[in-house]
Amino acid sequence: MSVDKEIEVRFKIFRFNPKIEFAPSWQEYKVKVNRSTTVLDALLKIKEEQDPTLAIRYSCRQAVCGSCGMMINDKQMLACFTRVLELGSDVIKVAPLKNYRIIKDLVTDFNELFQKEKQVKPYIIRHDLEELLSPTGTYKQTEDELLRYIQFADCIECGMCNSACPVSATDPLYLGPMILNRAYRFISDPRDLGFEQRLKVIDSEHGCWRCHFAASCSAVCPKGVDPAKAIQLLRRALVKKAILGISSSKKVELIPMEHIKGKLELPRGWR
Amino acid sequence: MKESKRMFLHYISGIIILVTGFIHLIANNLPDIGTIIHESALYPVNLIMLLSALTYHMLNGVRVILIELIPGRCAAKAITWIMFLVGIALYIYGLQVFLNLFWPVE
Ligand code: SF4
Ligand code: SF4
Ligand code: FES
Repeated sequence: MSVDKEIEVRFKIFRFNPKIEFAPSWQEYKVKVNRSTTVLDALLKIKEEQDPTLAIRYSCRQAVCGSCGMMINDKQMLACFTRVLELGSDVIKVAPLKNYRIIKDLVTDFNELFQKEKQVKPYIIRHDLEELLSPTGTYKQTEDELLRYIQFADCIECGMCNSACPVSATDPLYLGPMILNRAYRFISDPRDLGFEQRLKVIDSEHGCWRCHFAASCSAVCPKGVDPAKAIQLLRRALVKKAILGISSSKKVELIPMEHIKGKLELPRGWR
Repeated sequence: MKESKRMFLHYISGIIILVTGFIHLIANNLPDIGTIIHESALYPVNLIMLLSALTYHMLNGVRVILIELIPGRCAAKAITWIMFLVGIALYIYGLQVFLNLFWPVE
């Protein structure tokens, strides 16, 4: 098929404005698509040409920002990363991600998710404040050490894994695969010293032990992150700590570098 | 107790159930080895270990299911305590049955 050849496809779209409507409904639109049209392109075409009231969230259009996750034909997918014709279906069903509060139509509320993320301190924690403020070198990291966490660092926070997780569906306090993967990404980073600080949250009743390891999360991840594996590795780290007293925080060597010497200007209130 | 310790015990008790359950089955179904086991201290010790592991494994499993189904941090604490108390009661009852069985009071 040439790229330009257009085919008419039916879109069945979930519509709901909880502020003024009592129950959701489905609305149908017909859109002409070609081989390169993504679901996001089609939705934007509907918005531009047929129904400007349709609410969608997106930003990068290239599977980087994680904004456009939605249920496409009942599966969690990025709208900007899914071509309409590759779905091989005459009717494309589009709905908001499951397991989230709906703001409007296809836009879901990630606020609770990001609040949970804050609890696991998703950043590198170090205690050598002087070195951080006036760097004299760089922290040594071997290739092996990098490979241990790089896969988990690829997460774009699209929240689709949480949407596919059966435990997140029943237990609203469960941290969920996205957050647990974030926690493991930093715990397994050799520069991080915050393992103990994160324990209270990840080793709680609603932390990583609630995972059933069905791996639905990894199956829908558009970046191949494999959060289910991160959770299993996190459990190993927790058992090592609880039973053998071995912490996952490691000592990292500082390689002195003359040329990066200098004082960092930090915002007020940081000290 | 931390959740990791509770779950570690859950896995360990699962393994103990497999081993002691196997010994229990052999003791009751293979006449030759069964008689030797029955006449040794292994039989009551094995049964008490099976009872301990089963009580823990079963009630911790129920606790995990309930925590998932009943949201709320306070609910999780309450469920843990209730299961703990039910566990103690069941264990005492089971031990008393075994004591009566193996060392009956005349
Ligand atoms: S593996 Fe764990 S986190 Fe992933 S979907 Fe299953 S229960 Fe959820
Ligand atoms: S782990 Fe994958 S599915 Fe989950 S938020 Fe990150 S990129 Fe999305
Ligand atoms: S628009 Fe950024 S991931 Fe789809």
